[in-house]
Amino acid sequence: MTIQRYAILITGLAVLLAIVLVLSLGVGAVAIPPERVLAALADRQGLSAPRTDVIIVWDLRMARTLLAGCVGAGLAAAGAAFQGLFRNPLADPFVVGASGGAALGATLAITAGLTFTGVGFGPVPLAAFVGSLLAVAVVYAVAEVGGEVPVVALLLAGAALSTILSALVSLIMLLNDRDLLEVFTWLMGGFSGRSWPHLWASAPYLLVGLVAIWLLSRPLDALAFGEETAQSLGLPLTRARSLIVAAASLTTAAAVAAGGIIGFVGLIAPHAARLLFGSAHRRLIPASALLGALLLLLADDLSRTLLAPVEVPVGIVTALLGGPFFLYLLKTRQKELGGG
Amino acid sequence: MAELSNVEIKDLTCSYNGQTVLADFCLSAESGLVLAIIGPNGAGKTTLLRAIARLLRPRRGAVLLGGEDVWQLPPRNVARQLALAPQTNGLSLPLTVEQAVVLGRTPHRGWLLPFSAGDRAVVDRVLRQTGLLDLRTRRITDLSGGEQRRVILARALVQEPQVLLMDEPTANLDMKYQTEILDLARHLAHHNDMTVIITLHDVNQAALYADRLALLAEGRLLSTGVPGDVLTPAWMEQAYNIPVIVTRHPLYDTPMVMPVVERARGRRALSEKPV
Repeated sequence: MTIQRYAILITGLAVLLAIVLVLSLGVGAVAIPPERVLAALADRQGLSAPRTDVIIVWDLRMARTLLAGCVGAGLAAAGAAFQGLFRNPLADPFVVGASGGAALGATLAITAGLTFTGVGFGPVPLAAFVGSLLAVAVVYAVAEVGGEVPVVALLLAGAALSTILSALVSLIMLLNDRDLLEVFTWLMGGFSGRSWPHLWASAPYLLVGLVAIWLLSRPLDALAFGEETAQSLGLPLTRARSLIVAAASLTTAAAVAAGGIIGFVGLIAPHAARLLFGSAHRRLIPASALLGALLLLLADDLSRTLLAPVEVPVGIVTALLGGPFFLYLLKTRQKELGGG
Repeated sequence: MAELSNVEIKDLTCSYNGQTVLADFCLSAESGLVLAIIGPNGAGKTTLLRAIARLLRPRRGAVLLGGEDVWQLPPRNVARQLALAPQTNGLSLPLTVEQAVVLGRTPHRGWLLPFSAGDRAVVDRVLRQTGLLDLRTRRITDLSGGEQRRVILARALVQEPQVLLMDEPTANLDMKYQTEILDLARHLAHHNDMTVIITLHDVNQAALYADRLALLAEGRLLSTGVPGDVLTPAWMEQAYNIPVIVTRHPLYDTPMVMPVVERARGRRALSEKPV
């Protein structure tokens, strides 16, 4: 694909994302048609637009919608990075244990009384980051055989560790029933009740993580040919790997801290992006991020409308839609993935 | 002499999991010449290439590149002077031919430097040289084995190395591709003044294409020199443990080694030494 064609497609995707964003602001218990959303958007003070529209769009839905988009972008970019690092199309933040680690870190932070306070780099995402890094390190150490990570070993190590981590989260919740509801609703994965402080506490981490992953495109490409090739191209292997793990874990952690456990976005979006835009990471990562944002916005819209006025946690929506896709991938690609 | 001999292997001892694979190995390769590493399976040929390429840290001794120990040089500096075209292709990611080949510019670009006109010129030249121009937008996972080999070689060549290492470049290729790839290797040494080091299974191919041979057996250097000095019945039998006769190539007069095979048993006993 030429760079011009890529630019056109990416711009098209960005425009589509903007349209879905506007439509999403109108979706929910109270439906607002797009033209009234636009009017409210243009009129933050509510001078001419209906006051209720402005409140719903700006105060109730804007932050959560932006957050859903950012989280989707983050999960998808992190998924693309993990897939490149592990040379394995099934590695997503959920599968490799990064989400579980982040959940444990964030749970500890929340029960310790830390909250989404202040603007910038909040403490909950930071705790999630530490948990996420540790989890990926453990999964990698367990599943790695001579520089390669066989798919079966990765899935088993990730699943086992995720089970342990979620058991620990449950235990902490039981011991701290004061925070039970807060942790529980957050863990289910969703953006219900998320507002500007959540966005401000997570967005900086997400942004840093996304840019870092994108800057690591070239090492990611080189790693795709195996570690010996990467090394013989002069890549400092340990440093490159550590940076990729750090960037992908940071992004995952920020996404989990903001949205809870949301599975499969990090799997589906990079997969679709690869089909549309090819496998070179410099192009794949921005495309994955846009598709991830789009996917999660749509999933969040579904979560608000499926059983309205009750909100289904978005993690349940993505699991119900993405789970079968994962199984399908596993089945159809078993031959090429197998061996390990 | 330092500028003539740009790869120097000194008392190299390498081991895998405590088992010695190369022992007290000394060898040098000169620019402008093709050096073929030959020897039976498990002799340590690939280990030797990996040690030269700075992929395997030796237990003792050193590999000197332009007089400097490769382990004293930053990996990027090594990658600018020396490139490896490995045997295992590992082409699992469906990049296009061009994207895969461009990766070879990594040591010249760092992580962030943009792709320059100079980089572009090198990539175009190498794509032409390796006959990949028409395939540049194809996905490497869709290519034939011979085409994939050329992609791997092209990726090594865009590193613009002074030293090119090729691990079994002819394995699993048909005669035409084998000839093409070895012709190119010879051209690079003789016309571009590269130091080309190739591991080969086929000793006759080695005799035909290489200027110097190094015969390995059980991790040691048995013999090195021009093909006529190395491909003697005595060295061959010591290395491969089978009786051989050595004749001459009808066209190029290079030595040709022929094993005395089982089916000859009826007419001539295996134990009977050839003259």
